[in-house]
Amino acid sequence: MANFEPILLRNRGVTGSTSLKVYESRGGYRAVRKALKMTPDEVVEEVKKANLRGRGGAGFPAGMKWSFLPKDRTRTLLCVNADESEPPTFCNRVLMETDPHQLIEGTIIAAYATKSQIAYIYMRVEFHEQFHIVQRAIDEAYAAGYLGTKIFGTDYSLECYVHRGAGAYVCGEETGLIESLEGKRGWPRIKPPFPAVEGLFRRPTVVNNVETLSCVPHIIERGAAWFTGIGPPHSTGPKLFCISGPVKKPGCYESPMTISVRDLLEREDMGGGMLPGKRAKAVLPGGASMGIISANEFDMKMDFEDPRKFGLLGLGTAAAVVIDDSIDMRVVLRNMARFYGTESCGQCTQCREGTAWMHKMATRIAMGAGRVEDLDVMLQTARNMGMMPGLSICGLPDGATYPIETIIKKFRGELESAIRAQPAGRAKRVLSVLN
Amino acid sequence: MPKITIDNKEIECRAGVPVLQAALEAGWDVPHYCYHPGLSIVASCRLCLMEMMMPNPKTQELSWSPKLVPSCQTPVKDGLICRFGSDTVKHNQRVCMEFFLLNHPLDCPVCDQAGECYLQDYSYKFGNPTSRMVDQKLKNPKKDIGPRTLLYQDRCVMCSRCVRVTDEVSGTFELGIVNRGSRCEIDAFPGKPLDNPLQGNVVDVCPVGAMLDKDFLFKRRVWELRSTSSVCPKCATGCAIHVDHADNKVYRLKPRFNPKVNTWWMCDEGRFGFKYVHDKKRIVKPIVRRGMDHESPDWADVPDIVRFRFSELVKRDGAAKVAAVLSPFLSCEEAWLLCKFIRSLAPTAALVTGLIPYSGEDRKFPIGSNNGTTKFTILKEKCPNRRGIETILKAFGGTTLTFDEFCKKATTGEFSAAWITGGYPEPWVEKETAKIAEKIEFLVVQDIFENELCTGAGMIFPSCGWAEREGSFMNAAGVLQSFERAIAPPDGAKQDGQYLYDIAGYSGLYRATRIRELMSAEVPAMKELYVPPEMPAHAH
Amino acid sequence: MAQPAGERLLKLSRSVKRAMSWQTINRNLPVMDPKAPPVLTEAVREKIRGFFPRYETKRAVLLPALHIVQDALGHISWKAMAEIAALLEIQPSDVIDTISFYTHFWTHSKGKKVIVACRSVSCEVMGGVAVLEELKKRLGIDEHETTADGAYSLVTEECLAGCDHAPCVIINEKLHKRVRAEDVVKLLADHANARLEIPRSDLFDAPAKTAADPASQNSQAEDLVGTTSDVREMRES
Repeated sequence: MANFEPILLRNRGVTGSTSLKVYESRGGYRAVRKALKMTPDEVVEEVKKANLRGRGGAGFPAGMKWSFLPKDRTRTLLCVNADESEPPTFCNRVLMETDPHQLIEGTIIAAYATKSQIAYIYMRVEFHEQFHIVQRAIDEAYAAGYLGTKIFGTDYSLECYVHRGAGAYVCGEETGLIESLEGKRGWPRIKPPFPAVEGLFRRPTVVNNVETLSCVPHIIERGAAWFTGIGPPHSTGPKLFCISGPVKKPGCYESPMTISVRDLLEREDMGGGMLPGKRAKAVLPGGASMGIISANEFDMKMDFEDPRKFGLLGLGTAAAVVIDDSIDMRVVLRNMARFYGTESCGQCTQCREGTAWMHKMATRIAMGAGRVEDLDVMLQTARNMGMMPGLSICGLPDGATYPIETIIKKFRGELESAIRAQPAGRAKRVLSVLN
Repeated sequence: MPKITIDNKEIECRAGVPVLQAALEAGWDVPHYCYHPGLSIVASCRLCLMEMMMPNPKTQELSWSPKLVPSCQTPVKDGLICRFGSDTVKHNQRVCMEFFLLNHPLDCPVCDQAGECYLQDYSYKFGNPTSRMVDQKLKNPKKDIGPRTLLYQDRCVMCSRCVRVTDEVSGTFELGIVNRGSRCEIDAFPGKPLDNPLQGNVVDVCPVGAMLDKDFLFKRRVWELRSTSSVCPKCATGCAIHVDHADNKVYRLKPRFNPKVNTWWMCDEGRFGFKYVHDKKRIVKPIVRRGMDHESPDWADVPDIVRFRFSELVKRDGAAKVAAVLSPFLSCEEAWLLCKFIRSLAPTAALVTGLIPYSGEDRKFPIGSNNGTTKFTILKEKCPNRRGIETILKAFGGTTLTFDEFCKKATTGEFSAAWITGGYPEPWVEKETAKIAEKIEFLVVQDIFENELCTGAGMIFPSCGWAEREGSFMNAAGVLQSFERAIAPPDGAKQDGQYLYDIAGYSGLYRATRIRELMSAEVPAMKELYVPPEMPAHAH
Repeated sequence: MAQPAGERLLKLSRSVKRAMSWQTINRNLPVMDPKAPPVLTEAVREKIRGFFPRYETKRAVLLPALHIVQDALGHISWKAMAEIAALLEIQPSDVIDTISFYTHFWTHSKGKKVIVACRSVSCEVMGGVAVLEELKKRLGIDEHETTADGAYSLVTEECLAGCDHAPCVIINEKLHKRVRAEDVVKLLADHANARLEIPRSDLFDAPAKTAADPASQNSQAEDLVGTTSDVREMRES
């Protein structure tokens, strides 16, 4: 599979790839024309057959999501989740900055399949350049008659707007995103009702990730059978993998879901191996929320099923960050705890209090004032916050527990010896200063 | 009625309620903070989580679902099986209580809520004995959130009940949540403080000591208070209330659940409107006046004096020259006794509905709601029992007059004897009205404060505040509710019902229930006393 | 060695400036002068109104409105919040509720250049802490502070999604990639940071619905070049 022909990233590196002209010259907007000749239900059926699982992290089949919409609906809204906030993920960014029209084409097809009247692209505010690129692409599409009233000369009309976020990780959760779009704090909603029944402005709503929608035109154009032919049966289609950290070629790479973490890290057409003088100690393979694997687990396959065998939550965003052996695990622990401590939305008790408490403990440990029992308290707190299937309204606390739990479990020896190496009585003295 | 099974016990429950409500009504003590039956469901405190039987998606076989589900958000369904007694559920409750106390200052000794605090109760019943938290606590500020309310942010559990009260009940939206994560706080926009006619409910719904009433702040420990069921006399809505009192003093009023009248709420006008009961200027003794002289007779002599003076005048001028003015502040029983007495001496005496005080317009809440969506109404009719008085007068029949008609007739000298009852917390006798005192030869005034009629009155009776009396009020919608005596009248005074009872010729102790029996035999409408269902023991 | 860690922690907990439990904040008094002239200009209001047709409720326009106001005024003052609330027919408490949830909105004025340093895992692994420390040292301020001359504010954020170019720093709207501690001086002096290619609020112009002239679109495309920079290129120049 070394020479996999990129599908989603096929326009990367092509001069002017963000313009309508270049996109069309390379076969763009053919799929949407084909889709508009089909009935919406046929489009849904095709995507269902392709078993396109959501690329946002949960891996829920997109076609299934669309088919949950009530049959007698009159107005449907489509939200494109471009609030890519999971560290260290950037594949949506790459998709939007290299091929915005592919996203728009996918959005139009998805909107047509779900009979949506408006598509909102919810983009995180830190994407400044990407916003310009996508907005310009939308303007071009409007000008060409691909968006707006009676698109492509059919009776179907679609408005498409970019809605910029304002810096909140939890707005990547679909109901948090909907609340944020309604101008409220991004507190995820209690389900049921699911967005498909009652979502944005209380209307049936579909929320799909950028990468998911970017796959849609290819499914329509080449057929579900072609799509399912890529990768293992439970994880079909091309997937973008991100790798960052001290590797020779950090970046975003496309591949079927057959590769292992080691492939991503070492293959010449991917990460290209570690930087000179660095040795990989661990990898967070699926975005922060999925958990960590140690160097002897690098053969883990990056698909929707294999990560669970390694104590991880799932594939997540398939964005790996390599941690080399010069990095203290206490620092990684603090970084993870801090992320969830600052990004917890504060709605559910376990998450609001638990993430903040873990952040406090992890900060103290990283500053050299930890106690060995803190690790146990952290481990218990992590579990108390609810590992899957969870205790809270959304999955954030579950995502917060996995990295903490896996770091402490898999690197307990290192953490403990670092704590034991502290000067005697230090933790006690620090705590007496604090309280 | 759906049947559900909780902890292996099958119970019947009301349709359409959440499992939590059904469990509470069946006697379970399920800890909860954010759930309130009168507010929308946010399911954020995660304390009421339960285990539920779910069909396996593949085999359809029932098994305990691995995920705990919020019982407040799960509606009852016939055949639903759940449990609160399992280790998983109890563990979650213990975990939550640990989390709630992480940053709590544990300042119970100086907290007003101590004794009725659900952090205390739940920690005791469901929590851990020790804390594992050794790091620095978050120290949140106090906030002067409005003219009547203080917010101790460090005691808050973020249940957001207060925010939902301002959003959904008063419709004034003063409160909001600021910041996110563990830094979440309740706050108001500066210059737009919590200041609406229903704001006191925010304090009531707060399960912990975060929202406190400035009026009650540091006045009394709550376990020293005794609670008496009563009805608010401030307007014709007639909210069911608790009068909380100690040492013969009323400290605060709290709403009492009544689904037909006020549900869970009450207004500030009523809540803080009890102060007149403890006014030093009240009339506390009966007074008899002859010319410039006046004396306080012994209560035992009062019935004879009154009966003698009235019968004397009836004999001289005829029964039609007698009138009794029944204030809408009288209870139904008191009014009935007075009518009984007057009509026994003067069978053709005029019975008059007392002055009905109005102020402003009816106010509907949430603001901007219409009849279908209104949750609470403050009526412009500022008295508790107009409808009760009218019902009684209708039953007695004969000459019945409005207060205006009575005044007009009285100024032309049509009455030689009259008994005028008051009991209004505010001054109510206008200049024109005061003139009638000169035209009535024998005038009995029964009121709580001295008024302009008293100078011309032959007899003055002290009226008592409603908290010192017992009886029943019929509200504007026709719901008859009883209220109990919370405190004793001031020294020298007697409860209105008691002296009217004596004067009407009965002997012994006045009991409103006994009079209600006698009365309802003659006035059928008075049979239908509405007693609201108690709130479940563990609900709050 | 025992004291410094404790003191550092204490400093950390103090560095977040907030009222403490023994203080009472008074919410009965307005913090703004209600008689002062409006802070939102008609142009800003018009821009906000331009978003009304996009959403079913006016409240949904809140996030775009806050972006527009922050772009125009540099931050969102209490008065601006009250005016936005009036414009969108919502309560001021709803506005502060929403603002305070998001890290991108500022209720107090910030420096001319707002430096956003990423502190997420990739950046930390690649030396982001050293960059942040250098920024603090050079500017003489701590996180979430503004220099006395009002030139710079320093903010930290979780993940800017530029992990392949870690460590990243955004200055105003320009993303600087692969920043090293020794680049900080150069970075701060870079004039391009102060001037954006496009006025910020124009980011929120409604999409062009009429068929635009393709030529003008191309020239627009060229204008956009260079909202990110690779620090390596700068080093080499």
